[in-house]
Amino acid sequence: MSQTLAQTFSIRRLGARLELRMLALALLVFVALSFASPYFLRTNNLLNLLDQSVVTGITAIGMTFVVLTGGIDLSVGSVLGFTGVLMGQTIHAGGWSAGFGLSVDLTIALGIAVAVLAGAAIGLFSGVLVARFGLASFVVTLGVMAIGRSLAYIVSGQNAIADIPPQINGLVYTSVFGVPSNVATLLVLYVLAWCYLTLTKGGRTIYAIGSNREAARTAGLAVLGYSILPYVLSGVTAAIAGVLLSAQILSIDPLAGTALELDAIAAVVIGGASLYGGRGSILGTLIGVLIMVMIRNGLNLLGVSPFWQGSAIGGIIIAAVLAERLLSTRVRA
Amino acid sequence: MSAAPAPIEGAAPAPLLVARGIEKRFDRTRALAGADAEFAAGEVHGLLGANGAGKSTLSRIIGGHLQRDRGSIVWRGAALTARNAREAISAGIAMVMQETSLAPDLSVLENVFLPELARPGRLRLGALRARAEGIFDSLGQRDALPLGEEVQRLSSAQRQLVEIAKALAVGAALIIFDEPTASLSPGEVERLFDVMARLRAAGHALVFVSHRLEEVFSITDRVTVLREGRTVARSVPTATLNQAELIRLMVGQELGGIYAARPAAGGGKVVLEARHLRAPPMVRDVSFALHEGEILGLAGLVGAGRSETLQTLFGLRPLAAGETLLDGRPFAPRHAAQAIRAGIGFVAEDRRGQSIIPDFSVRENLLLGHLSARRGFLLGYRARDRRIEELLRQLELPASRLLDANMLNFSGGMQQKIIIARWLLLEPRVLLLDEPTKGVDIGTRSAIYAMLREVAGKGTAVLVVSSDFEELLGLCGRVVVMSDGTSIAELPSAVLDEAKLTLFAAPRSSMAMTTGLLEALAQETGGAAFWALLDAGRVFCLSRVGGTGAADPGFGAGAAPAFEETHIPAALAAPAERFVLEPDGARATLLVRARSHRGHELGWIGLTVPGGAPPAPAPLAARVHEQFARAI
Repeated sequence: MSQTLAQTFSIRRLGARLELRMLALALLVFVALSFASPYFLRTNNLLNLLDQSVVTGITAIGMTFVVLTGGIDLSVGSVLGFTGVLMGQTIHAGGWSAGFGLSVDLTIALGIAVAVLAGAAIGLFSGVLVARFGLASFVVTLGVMAIGRSLAYIVSGQNAIADIPPQINGLVYTSVFGVPSNVATLLVLYVLAWCYLTLTKGGRTIYAIGSNREAARTAGLAVLGYSILPYVLSGVTAAIAGVLLSAQILSIDPLAGTALELDAIAAVVIGGASLYGGRGSILGTLIGVLIMVMIRNGLNLLGVSPFWQGSAIGGIIIAAVLAERLLSTRVRA
Repeated sequence: MSAAPAPIEGAAPAPLLVARGIEKRFDRTRALAGADAEFAAGEVHGLLGANGAGKSTLSRIIGGHLQRDRGSIVWRGAALTARNAREAISAGIAMVMQETSLAPDLSVLENVFLPELARPGRLRLGALRARAEGIFDSLGQRDALPLGEEVQRLSSAQRQLVEIAKALAVGAALIIFDEPTASLSPGEVERLFDVMARLRAAGHALVFVSHRLEEVFSITDRVTVLREGRTVARSVPTATLNQAELIRLMVGQELGGIYAARPAAGGGKVVLEARHLRAPPMVRDVSFALHEGEILGLAGLVGAGRSETLQTLFGLRPLAAGETLLDGRPFAPRHAAQAIRAGIGFVAEDRRGQSIIPDFSVRENLLLGHLSARRGFLLGYRARDRRIEELLRQLELPASRLLDANMLNFSGGMQQKIIIARWLLLEPRVLLLDEPTKGVDIGTRSAIYAMLREVAGKGTAVLVVSSDFEELLGLCGRVVVMSDGTSIAELPSAVLDEAKLTLFAAPRSSMAMTTGLLEALAQETGGAAFWALLDAGRVFCLSRVGGTGAADPGFGAGAAPAFEETHIPAALAAPAERFVLEPDGARATLLVRARSHRGHELGWIGLTVPGGAPPAPAPLAARVHEQFARAI
């Protein structure tokens, strides 16, 4: 492992890595906003920043896996909405109001399990269609996106589910070493994802598949399985994000997560990943999330009309992709 | 040999195209370092060189497919600056490529006039059809192919004809044929040479890029030889050269140098055995045995199913029938990982497409086979550190470059060595290689050969697929020949040469005429009819029909026994167009020279009948001559 670490942090490679340029950009934005707004550096605001990163950030983990294999997952927003509604209804039916006698905590755990399993199942469905049947991930997940949203409406009965027990708040507000537990969850998931992608056979296989699928197959890697796995993870992370979202606001709306896929993809791209696959990193994605959240937050603090935020984020996405193209010495066949 | 000699000059008719001092670099590889050439109207000009000498690069530059870095090209007295193939074509220079540039969904007619289809205005199909007929007529191929047929249904020989017609339709004065015979059977080659002879007679300048010397001698008027990107002989009349001189010009050293000692044939115990492998559509019936410590060649034309055979052995293609034995035990890998864990390595043909992970460092590329073979959850890279260091020293690759992110920065030869090392890292029992020296310069080629010989010397069984027969014969102790998905011969290299391999490897489908003739002869006389080459006291049987008991000549298709090992040694020792009775009186054999209408010798047609009363030889011989004299 020390070899891998030495390799990851060797000076020569540091300069060449896109996520480090993005880290520099993130620091630049941070410093600029610190000077521009007196409120920006306040502890409250900084915690607020992290808090605002949670939903997009967790969703972007699964998205990173998918993008690394050269795919894309447009269904994450709908999956969040659908699994959230499913959790709400499970808790609803499981005892909170129906009175089956289960303890509240157990009911909540059951609801979370149902949401995460549903997310995994939806991801498996997309993954099999893409990897086994060779359908374009864009089209498959576009379809799943529509299906997911429609199921969210049906399961929820077109209304927000508002009577989620407040005990679920513990997922968000418990302090872990001084950090709120939803932010801690975000960080732990990022560490796990980094370890998986950098240090395990599966992680390297996912990179190899994205870089040259045929070579990965010819070399004997388990291409099919590791092409499906990212979609499953994407469904799971979207479901987890949904759980944390509803835990925070104690309700879940069938519309929740609308346009979330755009933010997640943007974070991955700003973080330096190539949409062709094979290039990108989980660290870069985290930086991408932070840049987006900081800019949103900063523009709010500066009193800029929220309608300008889209232009700012969009500009950064395009600049990131352009930078990747111009700085990449590699010629794609 | 390293001192560059002054190019040998030949007498020159007024040149149509003069190229001087052409240089071209691909990344770190110097493909051309000052190449010269002159081509004149009304000649077939051979452009020769070993693999990697730059002949394809030079022809692509002249054809506008590549841009030169330096040098000048004068075309019909004026400087030529074709920025792409279309500009070269409109200037009158066309290429007939190995991988054809035809649109597979369009018809023959549409393909011939593809450039005109792009022009504005109404198409007059009737007029085009008449013109196309005129063109095919001028090539002597009037009814060779229907104009309305979709190109994807044509054979590669027919597609080539369409390419030639396409070049003529735009009025090309110079036509470059880039390795045109690589995937043709001997009969088809003859037909191509007929077409080329007609074009020459009509005043076209033809460039023939090849490394098959026999063909060079039979069709070219003058030759230009490239070696390591430079011209070493310019416009030398072919008639003034012999084969040895040409080889010396191409290779610059004696062939023995690069191929060193050939490993002995077989010897060790059988490691991998294939029995009647079948994996449709390309692999039909393949059998061979691979011994410990040997380098076995798998020869055949493009499309014979060689690559697919390797892929089947490696678990990348499902096996439909037949069996593979590894160390005598049945072994049928369903995934490549299974094959790797059993000790098999596979270097695929297309480095860029099938081997290299471009976003991985060289180190991780080296470790890719390890990653597949590994069963654990983590990487376990460190366990291989020492072996990697060893391999790097062997490859002469500085360890400091091992972290280089981009493997594509290395030359093709170094990339190939790294990919081979990927498998050596696992110390495989069997190493399968598909065209291991494709696109590799000559210096690295000999390094790769040395590597393979060393691996074999340590006991690994090596199986090499190559289209370069010279390479196969130099490198391998034995050669298995495949044709149309079937293994048809397994012979020691010592008794083979390129010409024999070419005949063995010819697609069986193109031998329909010969097979028909053999069948007719066998049936009418009740004997055994065979097609064979006779050389150095051996008979090389290409095909055989009929004949049992008293009519059995003692060898079958694919065999190459010495004369005395057959049942008909007397007849083989003194081939003549009459029935020769064996001393024991049991068999009588007629041998008739098979010669194409261009005078190319294609071996012998033999007929063995029980001794006693053989039929009259003259009418039989006449039939053979007549059949072969027709264009096959």
